[in-house]
Amino acid sequence: MSFRTTPSVSRTAAGALRAAAIGAVALAVATGPAFAADPIEAGFIYPSPVGDVGWAHELDRGRQAIEEALGDGVETTVVENVPEGPDAARIMNQMASEGMDFIVLGSFGYMNDGLKLARRHPDIDFIHASGYQLADNFGTFLTRNYESAYVAGQAAGFVTESDTIGMVAAYAIPEVIGLIDAFTLGARSVNENATARVVWLNSWFDPSKAQESARSLIAQGADVIFSIYQDTPSVVTVAEEEGVYVVNTSSDMKDYAPEHLLASMQIDWSDYFVAQATAAAEDTFEGEAFFGGMADGAVSVESLSEDLSAEQRATIDETVAGIAAGDFHPFTGPITDQDGEVRVAEGETLDDPAILSMDWLVEGVETKLPN
Amino acid sequence: MIGSIEYLLAGTLAAATPLVFAATGEIVVERSGVLNLGIEGMMASGAATGFVVATLTGSHLAGFGAAAAVAALLSLVFAALVLGALANQVAAGLAVGILGLGVSTLVGEDVEGATIRPLASIDLGPLTDLPLVGPALFGQDPTVYAGLASVALVALFLRRGRPGLALRAIGESPEAAEAIGYPVRAVRAAAIAFGGAMAGIGGASLSLAYTPLWADGLVGGRGWIAVALVVFGAWRPGRVLLGAWLFGAVSLLELFLQGVGFELPSQLFSAMPYLVTIVVLALISSDPARLRLERPMSLGLTYRRRG
Repeated sequence: MSFRTTPSVSRTAAGALRAAAIGAVALAVATGPAFAADPIEAGFIYPSPVGDVGWAHELDRGRQAIEEALGDGVETTVVENVPEGPDAARIMNQMASEGMDFIVLGSFGYMNDGLKLARRHPDIDFIHASGYQLADNFGTFLTRNYESAYVAGQAAGFVTESDTIGMVAAYAIPEVIGLIDAFTLGARSVNENATARVVWLNSWFDPSKAQESARSLIAQGADVIFSIYQDTPSVVTVAEEEGVYVVNTSSDMKDYAPEHLLASMQIDWSDYFVAQATAAAEDTFEGEAFFGGMADGAVSVESLSEDLSAEQRATIDETVAGIAAGDFHPFTGPITDQDGEVRVAEGETLDDPAILSMDWLVEGVETKLPN
Repeated sequence: MIGSIEYLLAGTLAAATPLVFAATGEIVVERSGVLNLGIEGMMASGAATGFVVATLTGSHLAGFGAAAAVAALLSLVFAALVLGALANQVAAGLAVGILGLGVSTLVGEDVEGATIRPLASIDLGPLTDLPLVGPALFGQDPTVYAGLASVALVALFLRRGRPGLALRAIGESPEAAEAIGYPVRAVRAAAIAFGGAMAGIGGASLSLAYTPLWADGLVGGRGWIAVALVVFGAWRPGRVLLGAWLFGAVSLLELFLQGVGFELPSQLFSAMPYLVTIVVLALISSDPARLRLERPMSLGLTYRRRG
């Protein structure tokens, strides 16, 4: 068996060139002498292209943080726009046979293939986005986006004049439902008349449909739009054009709506990625479930609109401080669901399993769940 | 309420426009006897190229020109395969379509997720401000009107005058058309290039006017809808336009009703545009005798010149 080193530059492959990229990974067998202190080799697989904003963009910022922190101690390889399924399985197998030490799987759907691979290669450490399976060398990572959703919801509750918030969401899965609930609770904590309407796209990626949904919500009187997990600025640009406020997830989209961005719910994987890569390099890696919130610096609310008054900002800052310090939990009772049933009793808070399996909408959301 | 109706009327025309361009082009191609299943890829390559060129030059017009050129070029690859190499039209169309999707990803790589200033809508003052119909009729961006004009021109071309007659003759019986002196392959190549250019313009209308941004996968199946519209609209421009409007209207209505809180499974809502469009077009085009008359007899068949 020959020693293998990947080229020391990170490689970004376009989807169209994915096949070529796989080939390149395969061909990167430039044999060389084994160094005394080998840098660790880290592979990254993303489900979508690394754009200027969005999910893959945030994952890639985490990768850059690793490169910055570990310097010569790491070599990274990226393959982006990898569909879940056989393509992903092939690419991660390829990475494993290349002798990668640390592999980041950027999508839920990579879980089963990744876990199989982890069992076959106990020497490789994996971290996997938003899954629920763990092994000694297989950890998962998630963010407490409901925390930033609650805070952004407060901002929405302050600025709405029609008391109608429009939400554009992909699918009715627990993570999305949790955001809708937290946002609505936040809005109603400062404005008890605020209500929310949701349009389900039933598609992870359809910028045109997302834009149309936003337009139809605005036509129905929504004056704040919450764009949930849209990887493109589609909804944000419509809001700017139509002159209504907008909140988006994952990345800061201030550039796309300089006048009407109310807030951005930023994700930041940097600290977590660096810690995991360091652990992999030092052989101290343990597969853990990371559920990062404001306290960990993994989520934050950025680019709050200047239109919020000093008093309103103070309320928001207070909420942020409370969440970060662990004094306040967004899902604190009493919380009633749409049908008027009390789901969280006074003084209680929802625990993590309940948040991760959220399947009910809170009072104030006017749209029912599909089915 | 009036605002909602205005939104639905105006939105329908805008949503239908990319389909109108692509389907109108495909009518001409299929009328000449060639089935081009690569429309989706040609729309995508047009959308990406148009976006990149418009971003670089600052001119939307240049973007549309480049979109038409690239998609036409791609369709000429298809023409070379089916007319030159006598390849199977279905297989060649699918292959070139996939190539087009790849081209779009490659061309658009550096502008993934970027936005662009949308093509300005026209403003005719008091006309545009008319209640209900003002925004729909007098407040659209220029692509909407260009799309409608292209339908009218293609309908006119097919019905009136010798060139349209020659095209239809070639689509019915290339052997007979060749025998009386029509250059079958040249006409088909021209039809394919026209269809490609229209698909490219349709794609660019999506990335430059309707959804002013580029993202991989933006076209999202509209090319397939266009092909289906042509077949279910019985190769007639008027019906295909009707189908495109219907599709646009139902896809907007779907989102609108969801927002209102109409209680139906949203998955059913999402399937509605496809169901309604196909059912309605199939019903109005259901007369078997008429359908047989409208269908180009040589559609999809490989034509080998004798002698």
